[in-house]
Amino acid sequence: MKSALISVLAAIVVSLPAFAADAADPVTAPEADRSALDGEVQSLRREVVDLNRDLFMLEEDLLFPASTQVAVFVSMDVGTFFALDSVQLKVDDKEVANYLYTEREQDALKRGGVQRLWLGNLKAGDHEVTAFFTGQGPHDRDYKRGTTLKVEKGVGAKYVELKVSDKLTKLQPEFVVRVWE
Amino acid sequence: MRLAVAGVIASIGLAATAAEGPVAPDFALASTAGTNYRLSEYRGEVVALVFWASWCGDCRRELERFERLRRTYGNVGFVVLGVNLDKEPAQATALAGAAGIGYPVLLDSAKDVSKSYRADDLPLIVLIDRHGAIRARHQALDEREERGLLVNLRDLIDE
Repeated sequence: MKSALISVLAAIVVSLPAFAADAADPVTAPEADRSALDGEVQSLRREVVDLNRDLFMLEEDLLFPASTQVAVFVSMDVGTFFALDSVQLKVDDKEVANYLYTEREQDALKRGGVQRLWLGNLKAGDHEVTAFFTGQGPHDRDYKRGTTLKVEKGVGAKYVELKVSDKLTKLQPEFVVRVWE
Repeated sequence: MRLAVAGVIASIGLAATAAEGPVAPDFALASTAGTNYRLSEYRGEVVALVFWASWCGDCRRELERFERLRRTYGNVGFVVLGVNLDKEPAQATALAGAAGIGYPVLLDSAKDVSKSYRADDLPLIVLIDRHGAIRARHQALDEREERGLLVNLRDLIDE
């Protein structure tokens, strides 16, 4: 009786790894499938992002061809003497953009970020770009300053930068407009 | 295999589209405190826009209700932005102070934002989910509607 019991126990112990292996198989197989599926999903997601980027660039090329494209950017250097609140942009006396800046956006500009304020089309020839900056100047006083630039639009794309910087000699903000060729 | 994956993604996409509402129009407005706010900066949080004016009888109750909700759910990603339609900011500041609200009061005196949200009747409450989609609109709430709002709000916070 005792030897029979021992042989039954031995058989159970011997067969346990086999049971364990059988039990592990159905678990391992779906996990492998799942990781393969995850890989496929990630690769598809990457393709979708790439496609989206290509479509965006194509759309921009079609809507704003280089022959008429004009882009206006805003940047800030230091900004100790001026807290930017908003920028109003006029092209040939017509308002094309009016942008309010949140604290987060001001912070991004101060840390070197460049914002594309406006992207549009202008025919070849002379144009007038006017920007009005409002915000708080030295001693927390409300501050509004306008700056104008004559832009000659040629055959290529035109990039205009509106830069707010500190003029240390006068302890005042300075607003500079320059054209990138 | 790839087709199957694409099918799964498409069906997930469709399910998500079916569950979500239209994208909330983005805007930037100045507040009574002088700070500017942009809606898109609150992606990832549940936002309630409360459109109100000082001449609207039911608005004060909703302002106070949303102050209570902000205090309860503010630490789990719930943000309230009041959008005031008065012509004079002083009127908004006075009523907001009297109602004791601690969330930003944004000034929409030009009414551009209220038009884009079709805020024809005040008060109007718009609930926006963490992905920036409009999920519910409520007018002045009675007790039963308040329960509906709370259910909507908790669902959005749990998503």
